[in-house]
Amino acid sequence: MIKIPPYLQPGDTIAIVCPAGYIAAEKAQSCIDALKEWGYQVKTGKTLGGDSPNYFSGTDKERLADLQQALDDDSVKAILCGRGGYGTGRIIEEISFKQFRKNPKWIIGYSDITVLHSHIHSNYAIATLHSPMVSAFNDGEYRNEFVQSLRNALEGRKIKYQCAPHEFNRKGEAIGELVGGNLSMLAHLTGTSSDLKTKGKILFIEDIGEYLYNIDRMLHQLKRSGKLDRLAGLIIGGFTDSKDTERPFGKTVYEIIRDVVKEYRYPVCFGFPVGHCKENYALKTGVGYKLKVSKNKVTLEE
Amino acid sequence: MNRKHFLSSILGTGASIPFLQSGGGNDQQPLTIPQYLKPGDQVGITCPAGYITLAEIQPAMQQLAIWGFNVRIGDTVGKRDFTFGGTDEERAADFQRMLDDPSIKAILCGRGGYGMIHIIDRLDFTRFASKPKWIIGFSDITILHCHLNRNFNIASIHSKMCNSFPDDWSTAEPLQAESILSIREALTGNSVKYPLIPNPNNRAGIAEGELIGGNLKTIETLAGSRSDIQTAGKILFVEDTGEYLYSIDRMFWSLRRTGKLDKLKGLIVGGFKVKPDDPGEEFGKTVYEIVTESIKAYTYPVCFDFPVGHQKNNFALKCGIRHRLEVSDAQVSLTESIKAL
Repeated sequence: MIKIPPYLQPGDTIAIVCPAGYIAAEKAQSCIDALKEWGYQVKTGKTLGGDSPNYFSGTDKERLADLQQALDDDSVKAILCGRGGYGTGRIIEEISFKQFRKNPKWIIGYSDITVLHSHIHSNYAIATLHSPMVSAFNDGEYRNEFVQSLRNALEGRKIKYQCAPHEFNRKGEAIGELVGGNLSMLAHLTGTSSDLKTKGKILFIEDIGEYLYNIDRMLHQLKRSGKLDRLAGLIIGGFTDSKDTERPFGKTVYEIIRDVVKEYRYPVCFGFPVGHCKENYALKTGVGYKLKVSKNKVTLEE
Repeated sequence: MNRKHFLSSILGTGASIPFLQSGGGNDQQPLTIPQYLKPGDQVGITCPAGYITLAEIQPAMQQLAIWGFNVRIGDTVGKRDFTFGGTDEERAADFQRMLDDPSIKAILCGRGGYGMIHIIDRLDFTRFASKPKWIIGFSDITILHCHLNRNFNIASIHSKMCNSFPDDWSTAEPLQAESILSIREALTGNSVKYPLIPNPNNRAGIAEGELIGGNLKTIETLAGSRSDIQTAGKILFVEDTGEYLYSIDRMFWSLRRTGKLDKLKGLIVGGFKVKPDDPGEEFGKTVYEIVTESIKAYTYPVCFDFPVGHQKNNFALKCGIRHRLEVSDAQVSLTESIKAL
């Protein structure tokens, strides 16, 4: 049975740490202000900002220590990852989830943070939160419904998401645990101890900046590792800035996906607002959802 | 033949039987080495992945003829479906014919590119397994090397393909010519020995084991599938091109986390043409540093800059066959073991 961390109460503390890429402290200010406005206290880890000279928000040791501290600190009720990028996979095996399992808390983020979602779901069956991160709050965007969906999720409000129909959608109704995240990461984790288990579940995927052939290849990896054949349903989010090779691939991203899953019967919806774009609803991974795909609309509700 | 494999091959594309145990273990059957080629033997050319024109394979055809082989041109040569050498159906059918035709002694792929993964589960290797022949190629063709090694333990040749034969031998760069000539040596059963210049990042030692490997990204995307390689007790070689450093790092983490690095006998790092970091996203480590960090917990020999990869010097390597890797400060060599076990 999936364990759901306690929803947040006013006055609860959210920690912001960066287990992957670097983000400057000033880029987190709008987020910190908004979280406070929502009634929370904010603790920032050493990996937010700092003096890292490279891609990462700190050395593996520093990122691990920062995340570990937030996981073990019982006064922290949720951990918001500053940004994705790359790097969570370098420390995942070193993280101790002992205290976290005793006292589950919400782990929040997407993209590279898919490593945490997948690892925690498959190993500990604790719900996590796939959602916008720190930079989504900038430029006044903290008011938009997508950032607000994070607030709703943290407060435990059950929201029914809707999205526009797409011509490739496959109609039907699915009930199952919601799992997923960034396609590149899900493919990369295949065969490791963080590998995502998808049987009987509703899978959502999104990606950014990948070549079409590579998206196709990753989908074939999911398929050939048994992740697509026994799904309850499939949700296709944004595949932003996809690139083509000099010799054109000959299909759009959505055509690629449609063709990879055409032999199955479960409902599929395209263009769901999840991904590397503003349209990125908070989704509770591991939690039971109902996906309804009909001719005129698509709904996803807890 | 293993019943599971038979079943999944007749199930065709719909089959996705997961073999989730990655990397480490070793449940292989004994190695089978296809018959080496003699003059007059037939070599088939087919395009299971990217497309190539008839004109582009002329240099390869001429060279194969000079070597004394007859050439059979597959239906997919000159076919094109966007980036592919024909539709999935056409590429699978052409490859299947070559696998099943007893008069064809070796299958040389036209080029790599992308597309092998679409047809690998459609191919029926029953006849091939009972009468193996050489399969030749690299890059996307790594899928075949891995699949054959894992499922049938049949040796295959990792080498350049038709698109890399020089138009004019008199002006070909020596490295390119030598790389192409190494295909002939491998095909005709000459055991090869490749000496190379030591790289200061190498780790000295001597290793003996079955040679396995290919394109790193391709190996990563086979993880968790029934084509996934098992590396315990083997010498692994990897190469890649056009990947960001962070992506190369991530791929080495995949090797690590799927148990493919810890029980190796030796590691051969070929060419890695790196895609430059985006501004502000500097990764901060070289390929040498990435690899060195990945294998620091182990003690086996490691060599860098081995002449295998997307480059002029890409020598033929026999996958599945036992080799001896010797790495010292003064020299590095990879030699086919005298008697394959």
